[in-house]
Amino acid sequence: MTPVRLKQTDVAVIGLGAAGGVAALPLARAGLKVVGLEAGGWFQPEDHRPDEIRNNVRNWPHAVQKANHEVPTARDSLSGRVLPRPAYHPMMNGVGGTSLHYWAQSWRLNAWDFKVRSETTRRYGESAIPAGTTLEDWPISYDDLEPYYDQVEYAIGVSGKAGNLRGTVDDRGNIFESPRQREYPMPPLRSCGFADHMAEPARRLHWHCFRPPAAINSEDRGGRISCYYHGFCSRGGCPVSAKNSTAVTTIPDAIATGNLQVVTRAHVIGIDSEHQGRVTGVRYIKERQEYFQPASVVLLAGYTYENSRLLLLSKSKTYPNGLSNNHGQVGRHYISHTQGGNWQNGVVGLFPFDVNRWYGLPAQGTAVDNWADDNFDHTGLGFIGGGSIHMPMELKPIEAAGMETFGQAPRWGSGWKEFIKQNAGRWAYAYIQISTFPYEDHFLDLDPTVKDPLGYPVCRVSVSLKENERRALLFIQEKADLWFREAGAIAVSRRPLGADAVTTHAYGGTRMGDNPETNVVDRRGFSHESPNLAILGASVMGTSGARNPTLTVQALAWRTAEHLIREWKAVAV
Amino acid sequence: MSVMNMKSRQKARRKKFELRKHQSVSRRDFFAGAAATLACALVPASSLGFAQTPTSAEVFTHTERKSLETMVSRIIPADANGPGALEAGCARYIEGALAEVYRSSKNIYIAGLTALDLHARKIANSSFAALDPVEQDKILATFEQNIAPGSFLETAHFFGLVRQHTFEGMFGDPLYGGNVNFVGWDLIGYPGPRLFVSPEMQRMDAKAPRSRMSVNQLMHDTR
Repeated sequence: MTPVRLKQTDVAVIGLGAAGGVAALPLARAGLKVVGLEAGGWFQPEDHRPDEIRNNVRNWPHAVQKANHEVPTARDSLSGRVLPRPAYHPMMNGVGGTSLHYWAQSWRLNAWDFKVRSETTRRYGESAIPAGTTLEDWPISYDDLEPYYDQVEYAIGVSGKAGNLRGTVDDRGNIFESPRQREYPMPPLRSCGFADHMAEPARRLHWHCFRPPAAINSEDRGGRISCYYHGFCSRGGCPVSAKNSTAVTTIPDAIATGNLQVVTRAHVIGIDSEHQGRVTGVRYIKERQEYFQPASVVLLAGYTYENSRLLLLSKSKTYPNGLSNNHGQVGRHYISHTQGGNWQNGVVGLFPFDVNRWYGLPAQGTAVDNWADDNFDHTGLGFIGGGSIHMPMELKPIEAAGMETFGQAPRWGSGWKEFIKQNAGRWAYAYIQISTFPYEDHFLDLDPTVKDPLGYPVCRVSVSLKENERRALLFIQEKADLWFREAGAIAVSRRPLGADAVTTHAYGGTRMGDNPETNVVDRRGFSHESPNLAILGASVMGTSGARNPTLTVQALAWRTAEHLIREWKAVAV
Repeated sequence: MSVMNMKSRQKARRKKFELRKHQSVSRRDFFAGAAATLACALVPASSLGFAQTPTSAEVFTHTERKSLETMVSRIIPADANGPGALEAGCARYIEGALAEVYRSSKNIYIAGLTALDLHARKIANSSFAALDPVEQDKILATFEQNIAPGSFLETAHFFGLVRQHTFEGMFGDPLYGGNVNFVGWDLIGYPGPRLFVSPEMQRMDAKAPRSRMSVNQLMHDTR
């Protein structure tokens, strides 16, 4: 089919999720004409319902979307063994993307995360660097990103309590956090019985617990009401728009400037470039018609897997191995975040009393950072990094019925029923996130045989659980176990260890760094090879941190957008 | 906007979302004569205020359905701890789901339920449904452990699927045809979905009043 050639725009953004949805705002405010190409559609508040079968069992709306036809394949990088392909894509399409129904945990990284290699070498010596890692210091520091963390926290609305305000430590917040210039725009989500119950033993252990930050209204803000704690937040959209997805914050604000045009159901199939390497625009299919959207600048803001995939699929004479891939770095330095909850890697505790987690949300709870980052002495431990430990709220009935029985009951029958009647409300899980690093043999590429319905290869993930992360994980499981027992748990179960190959916390593939031989984008987020192509998302991050990625992704996106605005003439012309 | 204004606006919104009193439903006494009752004896869906009635789609033969009903009644039996999966409408939930969204599992179910009956005939010359519950449990255990002799089927996979679907039917929203009269939620002490959760409801010793609502009622569906 002959593509319809559209009118030239200043900026074409591929993907209006957490990253693209943020970048659109400063660009639109600066007067640039932005076309946002989103594979999904708009969702309304009434689309979001407290329905566990729909949201969590049948994975609406993931199960019926473009992304679901492109679920990455995976293999264990050590053995080459093909891993089971997930039934659903971990992320969703839509205006707002997965920020429509994510947990909305909104952390800043620690300053250490930006300088892991140099800091580790300084404190513990070169030999402490994990074997086989391709770790580099980030080209920017926490201080470089701080103003953008601040910008995003206020633009979308993040609730929390500062633990370090301009160098003054405040133990009502996280005492280990890196300094911030301003308080959070909203106080933290309220505490609750279970969180208070877990805080007390943490203090006895001389750990510092705090209410973690969340992109969720803890009070009325932005013309929308505060959270109702209704208990369907995990993979559930918010029926009262208290969850600050980009769909209800930065995207409408950008549209209001008159400079953002949102194109929904736009299935992007390639980014075109000309012989000197500059990108010329984006090809997409909508309602069976192919379009070409010419643009002076292209921002690639799909999810991590799609960012690498689209570059690899966008081959040309200038880029025979994929756009911006002449140095062979696209797909490299990939990271699947080592994390765990009531699933792989986590720790689960059983109490002799009800803990009442029926309502609330995962972002509500209490967290401990004492064992994260380089907050403790690692001498002799055999690993670097560590993990954050969070005790989340929200328990739903089918989830509760599937609870671990701690060896105390069969899996069905009257014995099981007796157990579940007493214990469904008596258990909790520790959500842990381990600092995870890039390795030589962890990467993304195109699957050699599996294709999407259009005939394009899907992304393939090669990853495993490395020794450093395995040791860190065991260490953190031990801490979580201890925490549960101090809190009165009568049984604790540790989940088996493994690497989630296809995950909601995926990083790398288009890493940011000064060296074009080992990185895809420069310190501004622009491709080393194609001057008017920038990449947004966790695909540019070189380390994971011990916490959820989204706020960092959004801060980086805002920063790249501001660089573009400042350097518009040099980049676009 | 002042804090006072915010609080009164919040109150107004809370009122707006205040739970409607549930229509009166005659609660059947499932404890009297605890023999398993058939799905047709359950409270009709319309009295629970559904906007959509559960599907009455049929996927199974009479014998297959009987085997399914028996199987779910053993996975979560009716007993001293209250009604079980059969009373909760789990067999109906499963058959309805297999007719549409879970249709790719239909053949596994038919093969598995047929295998249960074949087994029962081999062991005791009876249908699976007519066996003593103790014998039924024994057969189900061999299926669960994949040691059912002479079976060509991945019985453990079949068993796991039925257990998972039984749990969905028992503890999912009644909108889908199971959890009739909220018996599943009552068993585990889940108070039901509500749009406003107060701080008091989040105390560890709190027992929030049962909302007695399906998501359709809660969201004021007009569909």
